[in-house]
Amino acid sequence: MMQPMMQRLLPFLSLVVLFVALAIASPHFLTETNLSSVVRQTAVINVMSLGMTLIIIAGGIDLSVGAMLAMCGVLGTMAMQGGMPVSVGILVGLLAGLFWGSVNGFLTTRLRIAPFIVTLGTLGIIRGLTLIITNGLPVTQIPRSFAFLGEGNLLGVPFVLWVVVICALATHVILEHTRLGRYAFAIGSNPDAAVYAGVPVAFDITVIYALGGLLTGLAGMIEASRLMTGQPSAGNGYELQAIAAVVIGGGSLHGGEGSVVGTLIGALIMGLLSNGSDLLGISPYLQQAIIGAVIILAVSVDELRKRRGRAEG
Amino acid sequence: MLLDLSGIQKRYSGVTALRDGNLCVGPGEVHLLLGENGAGKSTLMKIVAGMEHRDAGRMLWQGREAGFRTPAEASAAGIAMVHQESLLAPHLTVAENIFLGREERLPFGWVNRRRMIEQASRMIEAHHFPLDAGWRVGRLSPAGKQLVGICRAIQHGSSLLIFDEPTSSLSGAETEEVFRIVRTLRARGMGVIYITHRLEELRAIGDRVTILRDGVTVHSGPLADVSTDRIIQHMVGREMVSIYQRQPVPPGAELLRVEGLTRGVAFRDVSFGLRAGEIVGLAGLMGAGRTETCLAIFGVDPIDAGKVFVDGRAARIGSPREAVAAGIALVTEDRQKTGLALRLPIAYNITMANLRAITRLGVIDGSAQNRVTAEYIARLRIRASSGRQAAGRLSGGNQQKVAIAKWLFRRARVFLFDEPTRGIDVGAKIEVFEVMDELARAGAAVLMVSSEMQELLQVADRILVMRQGRITGELPGRTTQEEIMRFAALEPECAP
Repeated sequence: MMQPMMQRLLPFLSLVVLFVALAIASPHFLTETNLSSVVRQTAVINVMSLGMTLIIIAGGIDLSVGAMLAMCGVLGTMAMQGGMPVSVGILVGLLAGLFWGSVNGFLTTRLRIAPFIVTLGTLGIIRGLTLIITNGLPVTQIPRSFAFLGEGNLLGVPFVLWVVVICALATHVILEHTRLGRYAFAIGSNPDAAVYAGVPVAFDITVIYALGGLLTGLAGMIEASRLMTGQPSAGNGYELQAIAAVVIGGGSLHGGEGSVVGTLIGALIMGLLSNGSDLLGISPYLQQAIIGAVIILAVSVDELRKRRGRAEG
Repeated sequence: MLLDLSGIQKRYSGVTALRDGNLCVGPGEVHLLLGENGAGKSTLMKIVAGMEHRDAGRMLWQGREAGFRTPAEASAAGIAMVHQESLLAPHLTVAENIFLGREERLPFGWVNRRRMIEQASRMIEAHHFPLDAGWRVGRLSPAGKQLVGICRAIQHGSSLLIFDEPTSSLSGAETEEVFRIVRTLRARGMGVIYITHRLEELRAIGDRVTILRDGVTVHSGPLADVSTDRIIQHMVGREMVSIYQRQPVPPGAELLRVEGLTRGVAFRDVSFGLRAGEIVGLAGLMGAGRTETCLAIFGVDPIDAGKVFVDGRAARIGSPREAVAAGIALVTEDRQKTGLALRLPIAYNITMANLRAITRLGVIDGSAQNRVTAEYIARLRIRASSGRQAAGRLSGGNQQKVAIAKWLFRRARVFLFDEPTRGIDVGAKIEVFEVMDELARAGAAVLMVSSEMQELLQVADRILVMRQGRITGELPGRTTQEEIMRFAALEPECAP
C-alpha cells in the first residue's frame, strides 16, 4: 500500500525536490521578482492545461489550443484597438475560445472523427484564419490598462495567480463534484458503457471541448496582455506543453485518468525547469531536450506503476 | 505422462493464487479443469504455458523437470493455449493470425502470403469451419474468433493443447464442432486440458477431471467416478442445491410490449409483452437475433418498423438515454466492453446511470454516494475491498453484480439481461438468479436472454424462442430442452 502511494506522490515530490534544488543552486531563485515572474510565465500554460485536463480525462485531445490562443488574443486586442472597452475585448477573446472549442466538440461527436484528426485540422484552419485577419502583423495600440491582467498585482501577488487559482478551483469542482466531471471520467474510461448508462455523451463531450476553448481564450488574453500585442504567431507549440503538463501530472492519454492538482504540478515542474535553466545559464536548446526527457520519464514511471497494479489484481 | 504438476504455488504480491496445484495429463486424454473464478485454474495454466512462473512445486513435462520462462518456450516444447478472450490481431486476416509469428518466409524477409492462405484454407476446409482465410478477424463473431484461435493452436503442432472456456461464446452447433475437433486431437494421441464453466457439457467431452478450489486441487480422477452434484460441491466447497428453481409469482400489469419489431436482416416481426413480476426467457441459437432485439429495444440500434409500448403507452426510443429515462435497463452481454467503466471505482459505476439522485444543487453528494455504494455492495454481496476499488479488479461474477447494481439504483422497471451468467462461476450464477427473482417480486419485468437452456428452465416463467430473426415459439417455463431446441433449430414447417 505504501509503494503505490509513494508513486502517486511522485510528481509532487519531484516538484518539491526541484524547488529545493533550485533554491540551493541559485541565489536568485528564491527572490520575489523571480518567483512572481515564474508565476506570470507559467500562467498561460497553467490555464490552458486545465482545459486540456478535462478533455484528456474524457478520452479526447485538443491540438488546436495553441492556434486558438493566438486567434483569441488577436480578436480580443483588435476589439480594444477598435475602441471597445478592455472588458469587452477580453469577453471577445473568451467567446472566440468558446466558439472554437464548441466547433471541435461538435465535429468529434457529430462527424465521429477522431479528436486527434479534428483538432489537427482546426489547428490549421484557426492559424490560417488568424494570419488572414491580421495580415500576419501583430495587433498593437491597445489601452494600457489591459496590461493589468498579465502584469498587475492584487493583494501583493501577481493578479494572474488569482486567475489561475480561481480557474483551477472551478475546474476541480467541475471534475470531482459535478455530473459533467463524473461523466467525463466515465466517457474517457469506457465511452460505450457511458452511452449504455444513458450518459449524454455527445453533448457532454461538446461542452468539455467548449470549456477547454473558453480557458484557452482566457490564456490567450493573458498572453496578449503580457506582450501588450495580439500576436498571430503566438502559442506555437503550446498545445504540446499543455498536454505534457496533464501527462506529467498523471493524466492518461487513454482517458479516464487525471486531476487538476496533478496538472498544476506538471505545469509547475515544466515552468521551474525552464526558469531554473535560465538562472543556471543552461542553453534554451538543452532546455527543450530536458523537458522532453522529463515527459518520457514521468509517463514511464506511471506506466510501471499501473503494470505493477495490474499484476496484483 | 505428458504433464505432471505437483504442489504448485503462486503468490501475487501478498495474494495467494495457488497453494497446492496438482494435475496429471497423459497422451490421448481430455482432462477437464474445473473450479470457480479465482480458484486458480487460469494461473495454473499460465504457469504451464510459460506466461507465469511458479514460486514452488514441481513440473514434469514428458518426464523431465521443466519450467518455461516464456510462452514461446512452452510453444517450442509442444504446449499451446487457446485463450478465452482470443489474443488475436483484429486488423489481420484469418490466415495471417493463424500464422502470426510463424509466417512462411521467402528470401529478403518477404512473407509467402499465397502459401499461408493455401495452408489456412486447407485447414479450415478439413475441419469444416465457417471461415475464410482472407477474412479480417475483427469482423468475426466471438465464435469465429475462437475457431481462429483453435486453428492457430493446432497449426503449431503441439502435443498438449489447453482450451480456456472454448465454448462460452459458441452456439450449440459450433460447440459440437469444437467437441469433434477435441475428439480428433485426442484420437491422434494429444493431451488436452479443457477449462469450462458449462457443467452440462462435461460428460460429452471429458475423460478425467481435476477440480481446484481456493488454489488447492481438491479432487482429481476419472470423470465417470464422480457425479455432477459432487463436482459442484467440490467447486463451491459447500452443499448447494444444484438445481435452483424459481417459484413464479402472479404477474401484474404489462410493463413492456413490442409489436412487429423489425430491423434489416437481424430480426423481423418480433412481438411480445413483459408483465410485472415475470421473468421471460429468450432462447435461441447464436445469431438468432436475440441480442439484436435487446439492443433495438434499448435504443442502441434503430428499428425499421414496429412499435414499443412502455406502461401501455407508445414510446419512441431512439437512444439508450431515452430507454433509461423510460425505465428500461440493459445488462449487456459484454460487461467489459459496454457494461462497466473498468478503470473507475465501483462507486462511480454503480451511480453512473442515476447521478441525478445523489446530486444536490449541481454538486454530487459524496456521502450519499458512499451510502448508496455500501448499500448495494451489501445487498448484492459484492466481494470488494471498498467502493473505491476499480471495477476491473473484481472477478467476473462481482463485475456482473456491479453492472446489475447500476440498474437497481436507477430503479429501472424493465430489465433486459443478455447472457447474464456468461463467464461467471456457479455460486455467482445462483446469486444473479436470486437478484432477478427479487426484482420480479418487487414488480419489475425481466427478460433473460441465455444460451444455457438449463438456466432458462430454472429461472423463466415462460420462454420465447427465436430462430433466424423471428420468434418461432412460446413455451411454458416447465418445458424441456428438447422442446426449446425444436423451435430454435428446426425449420418452421417441421415445428408443430
